[in-house]
Amino acid sequence: MIRVSPPSPSLLSPVTSRPPLLNDLTLKSTWSHRAWLAGGCTTVLISLAKSVTGAADSHIWLEPILAGFIGYVLADLGSGVYHWGIDNYGGAETPVFGSQIEAFQGHHKWPWTITRRQFANNLHALARAVTFIVLPINLLCDDPVLLGFVGVCSGCIMFSQQFHAWAHTTKSRLPPLVVALQDGGVLVSRSQHGAHHRPPYNNNYCIVSGVWNEILDSSSFFEAMEMIIFFKFGVRPRSWTEPTSDWTQDSETTSVESK
Amino acid sequence: MASISLHTSLTLPSLLHTQTPKPTFSHNLSLLSKSSQSQFHGLKLSNSSHLSIPSSASVKSSIVAKVTEGTLPPSFTLKDQNGKPVSLSKFKGKPVVVYFYPADETPGCTKQACAFRDSYEKFKKAGAEVVGISGDGSASHKAFAEKYKLPYTLLSDEGNKVRKEWGVPSDLFGALPGRQTYVLDKNGVCRLVYNNQFQPEKHIDETLKFLKSV
Repeated sequence: MIRVSPPSPSLLSPVTSRPPLLNDLTLKSTWSHRAWLAGGCTTVLISLAKSVTGAADSHIWLEPILAGFIGYVLADLGSGVYHWGIDNYGGAETPVFGSQIEAFQGHHKWPWTITRRQFANNLHALARAVTFIVLPINLLCDDPVLLGFVGVCSGCIMFSQQFHAWAHTTKSRLPPLVVALQDGGVLVSRSQHGAHHRPPYNNNYCIVSGVWNEILDSSSFFEAMEMIIFFKFGVRPRSWTEPTSDWTQDSETTSVESK
Repeated sequence: MASISLHTSLTLPSLLHTQTPKPTFSHNLSLLSKSSQSQFHGLKLSNSSHLSIPSSASVKSSIVAKVTEGTLPPSFTLKDQNGKPVSLSKFKGKPVVVYFYPADETPGCTKQACAFRDSYEKFKKAGAEVVGISGDGSASHKAFAEKYKLPYTLLSDEGNKVRKEWGVPSDLFGALPGRQTYVLDKNGVCRLVYNNQFQPEKHIDETLKFLKSV
């Protein structure tokens, strides 16, 4: 298929009718992306380091480890709630979240592009949020248990986009360790996340470990939230209407995926 | 005896319990004075055959009326999807399934409406009629009924007046109109009340099961 060279892409341009090219600039990492990624990683590492040293000083180990585990578990819940919100409400023009919302809409139309995004490009938005939130906590807090929770939770949230990308990658292209972690339920599995990408696109929103997906879906948690929002504010979530062409997976271009 | 269908994660919904509805009016002589508290995953109130019919004068004079088994629901006249006024009394002489639902074109209500549609013949075979009621206007009902080819009547309960009169409990601390279904016998007396917000298709199963058993 011959493609005409596109105009310079903008992250804020509306979802177009064509998928990004494999070497599209929107998929590449910029120095700004890398800076935010470095910021996010640094704050997470500081949080964890302070937790470890504080735990050693206080001669405790169980509580910080437990707190870290709880952080890992709640990060999955947080990823689901955030993902649900971004998938269903707002648009490209929404303040603060607009570019993320647009990126998620594009992701639903062309799921495979996430596997083509460079690392910092994929994670920078979450890394930025983590930097802003965790840095003050690091400065103000010394408690090893709290820092253990914050470090693990924010680290999992920041890396959730990488876990998400792995959930879209074919098994043969994944490192064996990642496959093992997915099969073991530590990271969200390809099949579980694949269920999210099928109509009506209203389930399996969690993308860290996916451990919350069954509970949230079987309890109709998101449906309840959607109904409350509808009755209070009159706003319908995207998942209620027939999937429009902006949303449904573009099956014509999936053949490019394996190139 | 209430039957509750459980799901693995019942703790979340059961924590988000609805407000307790007002007590039934004192004229209710029913032996089954159970409050119809709403739960997400289905609370079927006992459907005993004991009937006690309160005096019609006391029913009409009640300000706070709540429909429970054995009681005579307050009558109403509401507009259908074509704008025509329809009274509850129109259905006297045969059983009628009156189902209150939150709103047209929402996922649960669509599932429920389509389930009633798909089983409509079975309801007719049992001699019953089906009526859906929500706060949406006639135009919304008309579009909803046409889109999903619903063969039964939808009534427009403007201001949710009838919903309040019948005492349909809301869910999630009042944030959500409840999903409750009543089966009235051919004399217009309530024989079954079933409530389930998030498993709408169960309303069809439970009401059909009941109609077949009487």
